[in-house]
Amino acid sequence: MGRLRADGIFYLLALPFAALTIVFGLWPIVLSLQVSLTASATALKAAPVYVGLSNYAAVLADPVFTASLVSTLVYTALAVVLNVGLALAYALLLDSPYVSRGRAFFKLAVFLPVVTPDVAGYVVWRWLYDQSFGAINAALKLLGLPLFGGIADPGTAMLAVLLAELWHHAGFYVVIFLANLAVCEKALSEAASIDGAGPLQRLRFVILPQLRPAIAINVIYALIQFLKTFSVVVVMTKGGPADATNFVSYYAYQLFDQAQYGRATAMATILFAIVLAISLAAYRTAERGRA
Amino acid sequence: MRRRSWRQLVVAAAALVLLPGVALAQQLTIWHDLGDPGTKFFAEAGGAFAREHPGVSIRAISYPTDQWFGRAIGALNTDTAPDLLFNNYERVIRVATQTGRIMDMAPVLAGIADKGFLGEDDLRVATYDGHMIILPVQRVQMAFGVRKSWLDKSGEAFPTTIADALRIAHIFQDGDPEGTGKGSVFGFGLEAAKPRDLIHMLDLFTFGAGLRHTLVDPDGHVVIDEPRHAEVLETFLKIYTTDHVVPPDTINYSFGEMYQVIEGGRVGMFRVGDWNVAKWTAQAIKGDFVVGPWPQFFADLPGNVVIGGMRGVAVPQNAPNKALAVQFAAFLLGKPAQQASLNLVGSAVRKDLDVSGLPAQSRPFAAPTWRLAAYDFPEASLVWYPELEAAFHRKLLGAIAHPPADFKAFIAETAGEMRVMAKALAEKKG
Repeated sequence: MGRLRADGIFYLLALPFAALTIVFGLWPIVLSLQVSLTASATALKAAPVYVGLSNYAAVLADPVFTASLVSTLVYTALAVVLNVGLALAYALLLDSPYVSRGRAFFKLAVFLPVVTPDVAGYVVWRWLYDQSFGAINAALKLLGLPLFGGIADPGTAMLAVLLAELWHHAGFYVVIFLANLAVCEKALSEAASIDGAGPLQRLRFVILPQLRPAIAINVIYALIQFLKTFSVVVVMTKGGPADATNFVSYYAYQLFDQAQYGRATAMATILFAIVLAISLAAYRTAERGRA
Repeated sequence: MRRRSWRQLVVAAAALVLLPGVALAQQLTIWHDLGDPGTKFFAEAGGAFAREHPGVSIRAISYPTDQWFGRAIGALNTDTAPDLLFNNYERVIRVATQTGRIMDMAPVLAGIADKGFLGEDDLRVATYDGHMIILPVQRVQMAFGVRKSWLDKSGEAFPTTIADALRIAHIFQDGDPEGTGKGSVFGFGLEAAKPRDLIHMLDLFTFGAGLRHTLVDPDGHVVIDEPRHAEVLETFLKIYTTDHVVPPDTINYSFGEMYQVIEGGRVGMFRVGDWNVAKWTAQAIKGDFVVGPWPQFFADLPGNVVIGGMRGVAVPQNAPNKALAVQFAAFLLGKPAQQASLNLVGSAVRKDLDVSGLPAQSRPFAAPTWRLAAYDFPEASLVWYPELEAAFHRKLLGAIAHPPADFKAFIAETAGEMRVMAKALAEKKG
């Protein structure tokens, strides 16, 4: 009886949050799925015309979508490796005896961009890359080095966007790594050192296994974040030049702009499925590794 | 006690006097996207309307354009519509197609006696699918603007031909008119990033040159490789590429970035919309610009100022105060409302307004002496046009990113691809 009552109180307290999750979390997804099954011209009408899976067929047959999906996956792979890899290196450096002074400064320096409004940060990056007055090319010119095409050149635009996102996001991953490093068993590393293990061996066999939870969290979070890359594209490139940064989120948004609601939501649903599948696969891999 | 009774009596009397007024008071709500100038315009027009209709007030709410779409479509589809909608013709088309609940204003216009100032083009860009979806209130005109001080320093006159404009662009770039160092300023301030950005620019050069269509004619036939169209398109693409007269980042410019380089004094020649003039004379450019028609391409066709459409007022079929809303919509064509529109937004449709209080650059828009050419709005008759335009934009952006060795061959190839796509889209979507 007491258990029943405790359960009742739990469900009563959880009810508002469950309701909020259903209304603001699940209901929009269901609505988006519904719109993806309708003809765009009638999508927002009270009685839309349902067209089955034809929007999905149109999206999958669209060569621009295929190119956009490939760009998104390439960008995500590069961004995850670069962000998580550099964040790990930075965190290890901050946690090492080599940085005994100024640790707080370096932590603040890498975390400040995370709390900077992304739009403001990307506008500054756009100016840095500007081909006529940008600071990056001015510096390269001064050093006698070849100029960087930045976001104006289809060959370098993805890299330029990647660097701007690295600046904005890496600090978050560093903080997660530092939190994990703080609870790592230092004695294990010291014991390995006494047993003759070198720094790389200690990193590979002692430290990294202990950092597995942080690596898993960071990789999964980064995968989700970079598969959905949007605001940096809106501010800096608008999908260009010549579709070089036309990632799926932005392409779907462009279709919304052209009132192609059915295709746009079909595209968003496909992206949602990809994000879910890749994130689950990464989670399962991390869980298997832990076992 | 007596004092309290006396006070109660006064309150009761006041309530009796005020209540009928409250009961009669009516508020019309109008949704627009013109920001503060638009809200001030509706407040002034509403004040004038209230003098003829005591107890009626106007509540104008401005939304950013993308939010305006969502709210308008959602509200009309859920019977929570405002009394009136105000926006550009092509935007109201989208609301009309997504809701089917925009009232036909043709009978309203028929009932207005004083409407001779509306031309055939004006009415064409108010009609969609056989219905007049807006009453035209503000003509959207776009002229060619040039920095006056740069012209003066260069000893040049306002360019009248495209060859002139290109020559002056290079003079500006070589002459460092701002004194900020050579290479810091450019001839033209244009945009390219989104489909509407680049095609809008091409529209201006095309209609400014006196041609009637940008990509397709009203029957859906692709026109870009017809000799004159091809000439304009080739010149246009070269301005973005091999002529080196625009900032190198222009390929990523949308409206925001284009305005930044114009207002930041980094470009000498640019588009001037009638709605830009108020800001550019009071702030930003501080009046340092002259306006005129777009440069002439062909000896037998003078340059035009382009009518990029019409802003107008629409009444939802499920408007809560429909009869009164229709009266206010018609009132917006009257002289007091039109004068307020001209003074506060910078454009109107009447030609008998007082222009003496306007900046010099606004007067030609208010009382045009130049030739006007209106957009053809293919999206109004061809439902598949936006998709074709997006593909065309993608091709042009590709040519700007990787300029072809032979522009003529590129245009011919693009025309072929567009024909195939147009045919497929027409067969699929009708």
